[in-house]
Amino acid sequence: MKKGLIVQVIDIQFANLPGILEDILRDVMTEDTIQGCDYDPFNISSQIAVLKDTKILICKIRGAIEDGKAKTETSWLPSRTTSRIVPYSIEKLASTRNGKRPVTLGRTRSDHLTVDVKMLDGKLNIITGKKGVGKSHLSKLLILSLIQNGAPCLVIDVNGEYVNIGRARNDEPTAYADKITVLKPGHSLKFGLSEVGLKTFLNTMIYALDLPRTSSKVFSRIWNELERSGNLKLNSLNDAIRRFSCHESVREAIYSRFNTLMDLELFTDDISERFDFGLFEKKMNEGHAFIINMKDEHAISRRLVVELLISKLTEQLSDMRLKAVFLFAEEAHFYLRETYWEDIITRMRHLGVFTTFVTNQPDTVQESVYRQADNIFMFNFTNEHDLDAVSKVAKIDAESLRSIVKDLPAHNCLIVGDIVRDFPIVVNVKPLDIQTMGQTRHFFQD
Amino acid sequence: MTHRTQDIGFEHSKISRLLSEESGNILLPDFLLNLSSESMRTLSGGFFEPREVTTVEAELEDAVVEEPHLNLANTTIIDEPEPIANVVGNCPVVAVDVSSVRVGESEQGLLYALRGALVWREGLSYNFTRCGPLAFHLNDLIARSLSRRSRANDSISYSAWSPLSERLLSRLRNTLERWMQRLACSRLSRGIVLLDGSLTAGTPDNPTVYLEDILNRSRENGNAVIAFSKETKLCFSGKKITRLLDKANYPCLLNIDRIITPQFPSAPVRLMGRVYVAKLTSRGLPFRVDIDRQLSEESAAKAVGRLINSDIVEQGYPETLRLAHILSTFTANEILAIQRHLSIDYGLKLAPRLSFRRSLFGPYGTSTEAS
Repeated sequence: MKKGLIVQVIDIQFANLPGILEDILRDVMTEDTIQGCDYDPFNISSQIAVLKDTKILICKIRGAIEDGKAKTETSWLPSRTTSRIVPYSIEKLASTRNGKRPVTLGRTRSDHLTVDVKMLDGKLNIITGKKGVGKSHLSKLLILSLIQNGAPCLVIDVNGEYVNIGRARNDEPTAYADKITVLKPGHSLKFGLSEVGLKTFLNTMIYALDLPRTSSKVFSRIWNELERSGNLKLNSLNDAIRRFSCHESVREAIYSRFNTLMDLELFTDDISERFDFGLFEKKMNEGHAFIINMKDEHAISRRLVVELLISKLTEQLSDMRLKAVFLFAEEAHFYLRETYWEDIITRMRHLGVFTTFVTNQPDTVQESVYRQADNIFMFNFTNEHDLDAVSKVAKIDAESLRSIVKDLPAHNCLIVGDIVRDFPIVVNVKPLDIQTMGQTRHFFQD
Repeated sequence: MTHRTQDIGFEHSKISRLLSEESGNILLPDFLLNLSSESMRTLSGGFFEPREVTTVEAELEDAVVEEPHLNLANTTIIDEPEPIANVVGNCPVVAVDVSSVRVGESEQGLLYALRGALVWREGLSYNFTRCGPLAFHLNDLIARSLSRRSRANDSISYSAWSPLSERLLSRLRNTLERWMQRLACSRLSRGIVLLDGSLTAGTPDNPTVYLEDILNRSRENGNAVIAFSKETKLCFSGKKITRLLDKANYPCLLNIDRIITPQFPSAPVRLMGRVYVAKLTSRGLPFRVDIDRQLSEESAAKAVGRLINSDIVEQGYPETLRLAHILSTFTANEILAIQRHLSIDYGLKLAPRLSFRRSLFGPYGTSTEAS
């Protein structure tokens, strides 16, 4: 085909033909009360049956084919009278299978959809859908595809769903098991004060624990004094806060928050227990996924860990010690403070933090994220409020999105964005031979 | 009573044979089937302009108006309506209705479709046999063919037919309707045959011979033929005759035959039924009702009583006849289906609609044209 308009079917409805209601009413009215037969010598009634089932395809213009090449923009319309309608495989348009890093996401109605995982590089992505439709499953597929291609991933796992990503269904380690590390805050993930630094620690006190500004200035002085004397340790900090000459109310404010942080057991003076950011850096640059299992973690702990990690990542990326990080943030509203949303889609993106938000509460993601998102993976939503929230994405019109998304079966997702060359496509996400479920505890074992 | 029950049982099974597929060849006359095929063969591809159907089009059926408009002077004294006596026991009821509809226009003529429905009540259940749709391409060629055929076939008097395509439809429709009515009267015994319209015949498109034959067969089988007119043009003192029963709040029958008959002194138009205005239920609508003139007045009144007892009567109209009408009538969707059939089976291409008003005046044509 040299030239053609590309239209996509977004909905299938029964055609509202004139008289169809009368026909249906007559059938309903007579089916129980009257029996009989039709003598239809020319079989015209078969056409009536065909018409009754006639369906109308609701379509949207997606682009054009000119000189055999697909384009998403078009500035012409074909003839209404002489044009022909021919089915066209959307995989031909959306697939980037010829890329250097192909990954098969699943099946469309007619074929497999293979895309280039490079299309996630430098991008802001959203995976959303209601609970239990396969968001985490797709997220895992993307993570595995990324580490398979040597990309570094950091996963903020709120529900402990990713902890078994390195294990096959038969509980054997997968080929990528050595490229996956699961960290549990307070256990395998502890920090030293000097590594964290005043700024990060203070931010945590202010944003996570609401430390007043005046108190924060006093805390900075305490920290700086200990740092100058080379005695920046937990016990020293504890003593210094208690002894520092300041108003009692200020001391109380600092001390109560410091104790809260200590109770979380996220900090240690023991070097052997501390998280090795040097090793983290090395592994990430070789292609590795760090899963931060925050299941059952206190809200403050979550915020603190994320503050610390993002702060550290920013530092490493700024110093070019890390090339980039693919950050997978599940239910980010639980731990991401307000000011970070804007930061993530602007400054941090330029530094090399490429975020994928995964959420079943689309209204918790800021509108600016939807507008800036490069790739959106949308699973089923039926709730109008949720549909309103996701309709804000800039990559697809609201009508198409609502029409498609509300009818999606489980494990089917609408993909929109660069990864499918801006041709919206519905994919049945392929199964993975890994323990896809997290460690959910069940009462009934049978 | 036992004797009657056995009789009814026998008649029910007899009419039920209409349901069997083998009876298909008797449900429609070969003449009409052949004519349909023959007429459709005269379509040689080409364009046709389909009838535009919309949901707001209330009346799709092309009614054939034959009843003369008659205004009776109010000098005539009208009798009091007689209450309809309740008759014990029931009898089989059969109703016939036929519909026609214009489907479109070809370059050579008009395209129509016909369909007939025969509904009967058996015990407490209703049954139907529906015939058609039959498509016809009406043009001068077919009219001439009909004329030749009528001369060659003495048993059916088509001799009055003229080669005017615009009259062909009502004749074809009458032919099918009379055929199905004759079938009903022949198959039923000691029952009531309900027809749509009046028992008036003798117009060029509605020859007397058919109706005579139907009524004769009916009488031979002990049936009573009752025809219901949904619309009547008979007026009394400037008002529709059905208004004569405005004050009656009980099932009743008003014989107006003696004031109608003198208006039709001789052939060609013949009133073959005795004309009544009837209200079958106390709150129902009044209708003009024609009952076989050869039945005594007493028998006619009894037949109406038996009808009320043997059929559901909603709003003063028998259910059997209502179902026959519903089943035969074409919906807009069915017209589209027939148009599709013509397009697929006869290779007709849809011609773009040309509106002179629209061509000349664009959006400034009248609202009906522009819509």
